[in-house]
Amino acid sequence: MTTTTEPAIDLVGVTKTFTPVGRPPVEAVRGIDLRVGRGEIVAFLGPNGAGKTTTLDMVLGLTQPTAGRVAVHGRPARTAVLEGRVSAVLQSGGLLHDLTVRETVQVIASAYRQPRDVDEVLERTGLTALARRRVSKCSGGEQQRLRFALALLPDPDLLVLDEPTAGMDVGARHEFWATMRAEVEGGRTVVFATHYLEEADAFAQRIVMVARGRVVADGSTAEIRARATGRTVSATLPAATAQQAVATLRRRPDVVAADLAGDRVTVRTGDADAVALALLTDLGGSGLEITTGSLDDAFLALTADDLVGADR
Amino acid sequence: MTAVYYAMELRRTGRDVVNLFFTAVLPAFLYVIFGASQDYSTDMLPTGRGNVAMYIMVSMAAYGAVTATTGIGGMAAVERMQGWGRQLGLTPMRDSRYVLVKAQLGLTIALIPVALIYVIGFATGAAGELRAWLLSGVLVLAGAALFSLYGLVFGLAFRTEGAVSAASGSLVILAFLGNLFFPLSGTMLTIAKLTPLYGIVALAREPLTEGWLLATDGAAPVHDPLWVPVANVAVWLTILTVLAVLLVRRGRARQ
Repeated sequence: MTTTTEPAIDLVGVTKTFTPVGRPPVEAVRGIDLRVGRGEIVAFLGPNGAGKTTTLDMVLGLTQPTAGRVAVHGRPARTAVLEGRVSAVLQSGGLLHDLTVRETVQVIASAYRQPRDVDEVLERTGLTALARRRVSKCSGGEQQRLRFALALLPDPDLLVLDEPTAGMDVGARHEFWATMRAEVEGGRTVVFATHYLEEADAFAQRIVMVARGRVVADGSTAEIRARATGRTVSATLPAATAQQAVATLRRRPDVVAADLAGDRVTVRTGDADAVALALLTDLGGSGLEITTGSLDDAFLALTADDLVGADR
Repeated sequence: MTAVYYAMELRRTGRDVVNLFFTAVLPAFLYVIFGASQDYSTDMLPTGRGNVAMYIMVSMAAYGAVTATTGIGGMAAVERMQGWGRQLGLTPMRDSRYVLVKAQLGLTIALIPVALIYVIGFATGAAGELRAWLLSGVLVLAGAALFSLYGLVFGLAFRTEGAVSAASGSLVILAFLGNLFFPLSGTMLTIAKLTPLYGIVALAREPLTEGWLLATDGAAPVHDPLWVPVANVAVWLTILTVLAVLLVRRGRARQ
């Protein structure tokens, strides 16, 4: 660990456009500014195709940004990797099926100048009993633990996990995060991508929500949870005061968005009870309905906001 | 780093018994059937630098060696694209180190059929000048090293282990077409000179034949000037290199 004060990750105006041969270009990342301080535990939350993996690839120096600046501990990403400050658990692939668990750890350990002890890492990740097993005979969860073991070898300051529990059952997922918790006690910075809100909520201190290549929300887990799991309240308003009522609603801090269609208002909010009360009393609404949006709805809504914002 | 990685690669290859059979045992078997056990094996070549058994020995050793390097080149491409390249990209290991390890591995594995067949040849009547023994062995290994590009191109293009097996399998056809298994003549010989294994094998046999081609029908031997196999190797090396570079670029664009 170092004593300098640069943030663990500093992304400034980062974009990435892929130009596949014979197909239209794909803007995977459309301008992300993000600063992650040392010791923070950050969840990258977003649906598939949101640009999470591409962004993390740039942090790891596996992909170069089309525009913008990527700094890891104040250095170019690849330099940080060469120094063993950053390592990662990748989403899939990445293992040779005809090696044993122990051989895989040994080979990757040999790539570092001062790796952690192979047996200690196997022990910490619960792989000691599987050390002589072929990778091809390991379950998805066991292979993921092996990738985690590989990531721990350089004793990194920053650990990047790209959907680390994808394909694990509930038990394996629980076990994985328990190991993880023990590993971050030393003050490591952790950034993990996930599309499980529960996982982000349980493990991260901060959630960065990404959709369609942009950051659509960034805040503490409590703040994001309110937005993501917020409810939708709708009611019919008296035609005469509808516009004014919507304006009033929009000023409320607990209201995320309020839209009027005809004389029916639809409000997304973190505090459905309070909004419902206001609608039925002060604002003269009737025909009240409260629905809970799914996480997907929250993503879609946040992305839609973002697009409107861009149009203005 | 390199030593640990190389040792691991050797263990992996050792485990792949089926592959080792096709690389080493099969070509050795072919030599015994078509070389050592035939009446013509003790006939001297027109140059007097070695006998027919040795000629067939060099051919089969070349076949085993290119099978080895094609497999290693192909699997290197496939394993990198299946995510191992990303895993290594997270470590301080440089790409040049990886290429170095794979090149050493290719040479080591190619050495197995060459050593095996040369030892069997020595024991069963292959005879020739010492210079021809040594130089042909070196040329076989050099040619096989170039042919790792053939496997690499298949691996990069099709990205599956099956495609690499297909590439190794296709070597049987290329060996027939390349004048390797059986001396060709007439139109077939003209076609042979355009196929990728022809140049490598002809050059490996050069210390024995000095360019004189064998004929099976009793006709007068034909001389093949040195520039023919040299041009063949140069053209195929260029084609395979350009293809490999284009395929690597395509792979990058897709990431």
